[in-house]
Amino acid sequence: MSVELVSYGAFFLTIALTYAIMCLGLNVQWGQTGLFNVGVAGFVAIGAYVSAILTTPATESHLGGYGMPIVIGWLGGALAAALISFLIGALTIRLRADYLAIATFGVAVVVQLCALNLEPVTGGPFGIGFIPRPFAGLAGSPLAFSLLNLGVLIAVVAAVYLSLERLVRSPWGRVLRAIREDETAAFALGKNAVRFRLQAFAIGGGVMGLAGAVHAHFIGFVAPDNYVPILTFQVWAMLIVGGSGNNRGAILGAVLVWGVWTASAAAISVLFPPEQQARAAALQIVMVGLALCAVLLLRPRGLLGEVRVVSRYLDPSARRFPAQEIATDARKP
Amino acid sequence: MSVPALSTDALVAGYERDLPIVRGIDFSVGIGELVVVLGPNGAGKSTLVKAIAGLVTIHSGAIRLGDRDITSAPAHEKVHQGLAFVPQTENIFTTLTVHENLLVAANILAKETRSRRISELYALFPDLAARPSLKAGQLSGGQRQMLAVARALIVAPSVLILDEPSAGLSPKVAADVFRTLKSINETGVTIILVEQNVKAALAIAHRGVILVDGKRRHEGPAATLAGDPIVAELYLGAHRAPPAVGA
Amino acid sequence: MIAQAIMDGLIAGAMIGLGAIGITLTYSILRFANFAHGELLSWGAYIALALSDGLGYLSASLMLPVGPFSFGWSLPLAAILAVALTGTLALLADALLFGRLRAKGGTIIIMVMASFGAALTLRSLLEFLFSTKPAYYSKALQIALPLGGEMRATPDQLLTLGLAAVLVIAIHLLLTRSATGRSMRAVSENQQLAGIVGIDVRRIIRIVWLLGAGLACVAGIMAGLVVQIRPHMGHDLLLPLFAAAILGGIGSVPGAMLAGLIVGLSEAIAVQVIGAEWRAAVAFVILVAVLLTRPQGLLGRAA
Repeated sequence: MSVELVSYGAFFLTIALTYAIMCLGLNVQWGQTGLFNVGVAGFVAIGAYVSAILTTPATESHLGGYGMPIVIGWLGGALAAALISFLIGALTIRLRADYLAIATFGVAVVVQLCALNLEPVTGGPFGIGFIPRPFAGLAGSPLAFSLLNLGVLIAVVAAVYLSLERLVRSPWGRVLRAIREDETAAFALGKNAVRFRLQAFAIGGGVMGLAGAVHAHFIGFVAPDNYVPILTFQVWAMLIVGGSGNNRGAILGAVLVWGVWTASAAAISVLFPPEQQARAAALQIVMVGLALCAVLLLRPRGLLGEVRVVSRYLDPSARRFPAQEIATDARKP
Repeated sequence: MSVPALSTDALVAGYERDLPIVRGIDFSVGIGELVVVLGPNGAGKSTLVKAIAGLVTIHSGAIRLGDRDITSAPAHEKVHQGLAFVPQTENIFTTLTVHENLLVAANILAKETRSRRISELYALFPDLAARPSLKAGQLSGGQRQMLAVARALIVAPSVLILDEPSAGLSPKVAADVFRTLKSINETGVTIILVEQNVKAALAIAHRGVILVDGKRRHEGPAATLAGDPIVAELYLGAHRAPPAVGA
Repeated sequence: MIAQAIMDGLIAGAMIGLGAIGITLTYSILRFANFAHGELLSWGAYIALALSDGLGYLSASLMLPVGPFSFGWSLPLAAILAVALTGTLALLADALLFGRLRAKGGTIIIMVMASFGAALTLRSLLEFLFSTKPAYYSKALQIALPLGGEMRATPDQLLTLGLAAVLVIAIHLLLTRSATGRSMRAVSENQQLAGIVGIDVRRIIRIVWLLGAGLACVAGIMAGLVVQIRPHMGHDLLLPLFAAAILGGIGSVPGAMLAGLIVGLSEAIAVQVIGAEWRAAVAFVILVAVLLTRPQGLLGRAA
């Protein structure tokens, strides 16, 4: 019994941590840079499909089956998502802030469409199965299998977290935040804001792709239904609960929201008769939607709030002065 | 003494609560007066008139138009009460035609008086009457300023406030603007003018008020202020040598 | 084949155009891309469905088809009420969510995000109330009339086209000729100045919500009439709506309608040439093409 409980716990955490990676990717785009991505599901799907195509064993049913090592699949997935992010960013980052949102929404729609319709590549509505799982040889021993998997995921999350933290604290990250907080200040620093934003958007997209790839290898298959808009929404809810701009918050938010989500899904399956479950699930989404709006209204900085890394380098109160006042102050003896 | 056309009472205003830019100003303008508000950059001149017009948050104090308290009225209601404001920049709708700019402003008048009032203003500004269907964005700098003033006058305001109407204009066009303001004032409209162009403004004004650091520092009749060494000193800062003239 | 594709494209385009006008108006006045606009279409369609069924319950004669059309008087009556109710729904969303965020000085992107949350809430609420099963205003079958050439259209489809044309002209006249329209254009150019010249900006914002939601409701009812009613119908139309609003040029009503027709026609032709399963990608391709070549749109002013 307790073995089952531990392995279920490990499985739960493993999946929650794949969401944490998505959330970290979104945090680079939104939390650090202020770029709004409404198509998270699309970028996650790109990573998942690319990795699946690269690593599955040879097959007739879809493109690929190259049987490559899992790590190659993960890197390939991340690179592909980063590339698409770069292209979409290059198209829209110069334009109005919400054109990027609209374009990413379009990406999610089109990726979903390709997944469904490009059967020779993606396997169509049934997707791709037999995606190799790490430590598949240990599948006979559920406890070891799930614990080892959890270990891999903890390592991946830690690696992503540490590299992103380094990035945030690097000169690059400081400029990025300066751009987000105050575009004129950023230009005054003599940096090309568009280029920095674009890099951040591509990095964030790449991290989402990696998350998609990792996720695919733990659940063992990819299918269009895995990457519907509700996924985008969940990742957003995680980031907002954790506090945008805060990487530790992003991870914590992912575990918390995924926990609430699975618990309420379990409650629905127990409490409602089968014919009412679809309706109850809809109500579940209504609740999350309302909660998101409420957080935006009441705690726009999230539950944990943002770690203000930049403030040590740039005095925010000085930047808030209207230019005229600074001129006056400078004149004082 | 009669009720002033407009007065402020210990007015504190600014964009952020902890950083007031107008820091307790008592200020009053008599009916029919033309007052110019002067002061160095950052003294709070512009913020003062924007606060009066309802564009900047008022933290404390009061504003009265005649004997009515208009402190917390939103900008659009102040217009209804007879207070018209011409901002320094972006003071006309560039995507609307000249005529539409006037129509939009005339909207708060009674229906039957609108077209009569617009023709009255066309008579006052023949330059605008010549091109009613031109997009306002295609007007010259001077014409834009005239359109902005005409638009403000549509509602026949009791008090007209202008924020640096001569900014960015050539001296000749600026002189035109000042002449127009003088003649508007002579028809009985009270005018408050924020200006950097001290000499030209004092030449048409009755009185000048000088702000420094968000407070009223000095005031006096325009004729005496023009030659007042304090004006030059306040403009150039106390740490500079005072004998500079013609600031 | 192609002639029929043009007919189908025009009908779809008319619905997209009406929806896009709502998006373009709210965008130019409220200054954010409203991701919940699609849900206003779905809500409009479902409100009309509920009211129409309710009226039919009261008096069965209201359900008898009118003339050549598939629906009875219950639908037009319900549509009028539904426009008002959808407008109320939009005002409610503004009072509870968007207006509060505006008052707090929320940035564009916070508004976009809030609209995203509102969209999901509204859509799932519809799923909860009506389930995901498709619904119809009428069970009556219609025969498509030959229109000359190889074109055919049902009376319902022709009515849809005619109504869309009338509404576009009406909105265009409202914006260019009426005092309210001038005030709307003034607010869209410069909100602060609009206040200074005596325009009550909050009133204009309310009018824009009512107009946008009303048009969305009509577009939703049309889509429900000529296709079917589903909770996801608005969400599926969102990308075409945005593509049309941007292609037409933000703030331009004729632009939005023209672009709506272009998007509708392109979709119909793509369905013929490439296949129906790729319909949803057409709007994205158009969107990317516009952003690449002419981000201000066909009839828009430079951003």
